[in-house]
Amino acid sequence: MVGKNCFAIASDRRLGVNLQTVATDFQRIFKIHDKLFVGLSGLGSDAQTLYQRLVFRHKLYQLREERDMKPETFASLVSAILYEKRFGPYFCQPVIAGLGNDDKPFICTMDFIGAKELAKDFVVAGSASESLYGACEALFKPDMEPDELSEVVSQALLASVDRDCLSGWGGHIYIVTPDEVREKILKGRMD
Amino acid sequence: MNNCFCILLSRNLSLPKIMKFDTSGLESTASVFGTAGSELVDGFSAAPAFELPTTTDFDGFQKEAVQMVKPAKGTTTLAFIFKDGVIVAADSRASMGGYISSQSVKKIIEINPYMLGTMAGGAADCQFWHRNLGIKCRLHELTNKRRISVTGASKLLANILFSYRGMGLSVGTMIAGWDETGPGLYYVDSEGGRLKGTRFSVGSGSPYAYGVLDSGYRADMSIEEAAELGRRAIYHATFRDGASGGVASVYYVGPDGWKKLSGDDVSELHYKYYPVVSTEAPEPDRMVEA
Repeated sequence: MVGKNCFAIASDRRLGVNLQTVATDFQRIFKIHDKLFVGLSGLGSDAQTLYQRLVFRHKLYQLREERDMKPETFASLVSAILYEKRFGPYFCQPVIAGLGNDDKPFICTMDFIGAKELAKDFVVAGSASESLYGACEALFKPDMEPDELSEVVSQALLASVDRDCLSGWGGHIYIVTPDEVREKILKGRMD
Repeated sequence: MNNCFCILLSRNLSLPKIMKFDTSGLESTASVFGTAGSELVDGFSAAPAFELPTTTDFDGFQKEAVQMVKPAKGTTTLAFIFKDGVIVAADSRASMGGYISSQSVKKIIEINPYMLGTMAGGAADCQFWHRNLGIKCRLHELTNKRRISVTGASKLLANILFSYRGMGLSVGTMIAGWDETGPGLYYVDSEGGRLKGTRFSVGSGSPYAYGVLDSGYRADMSIEEAAELGRRAIYHATFRDGASGGVASVYYVGPDGWKKLSGDDVSELHYKYYPVVSTEAPEPDRMVEA
């Protein structure tokens, strides 16, 4: 979700196999560089593999261009990598969030074969995505400060995953401003 | 004796092929009766002859048919007998596929003041048939001037469910009560099965509940210990199973009837059993850069 010169990216912490919960501390949001984060929902192993591929490509880019990737460029990269596997896809929906030039927040999401969806306010992905759309729509206000933004995102996330059997067991949220990255673990319902 | 003799004889005849697979391994009499030599089958009522579907993969087809009729029972309920009576415990989540439709469903149904039934499977099915059972139990009391036994009540329900077998009812219930013979516990399901036992757990969360229940069970527990065991078992099932959650209710059935002991939100139970220790934030599994 986008705020005033900042953004927040959040996920739940459950790793499960159908109805069985296997882990409650699974990391789904990964840092590409200080101002670029990607969250990967969907199949756990594809999320980890895709993350490793993206970090590899970004490091090569850093070596060649001697700078960090812009979020818009990164989104195009993710889209291309996903479409490469059009007929044997990664079962992942990425959520990309970053601060671009002049620290302007950029967010986008994609389906699992790379269709980009840009938004100015918020993007969601996962098994509780319909709930999340509703909750975010209801709670979002433009130009929120980081503290208010983190509160809104936490409430939206926890409310939505409490209506989904396959999500929850805690929450993980990163609030990124031009100066710092704040990481918080949310206490949620453990059922 | 006659039966065996006839079957042995008939096997040696070359049978007209009414079935589409090799029956030589089966001891069922269904394949024998029908158009085989009539003098051998005189005096026997023909066993139901099944017409089998023409498929290449008979076993697969059977499995598919069973799965179609069997909606998943997303819940956790348990009941066990101990020295002072019966403990009945359940969660309170109703799920429709992945969506949680309610976190506050009453899954322990009060049939009458000394008998409880648990709900697993189709909510409407369980609610209706338990109420129906309550009516029949009351009628029994009025006609016979004495309370119905748990054995009798569970048999009534099992017979009703058996007559609707195959029609898509989904009921996995436990009937727990106290009658003249002491505590009674029966498991009854919509396939028509009825089992007497001392420990049962039903639903998608039952494997997790069994783990805690079986390892912590002792016949000589006090009421508080038994209630805590039931509560813990439900809590652990809600933690691991996605389709269970909400509130863990615990009821106790004793000589004076049932009593609701507690209804705790499982989230609060989690933080009670595993309090958050306020040190630095727990390190999640970090992706290690290879």
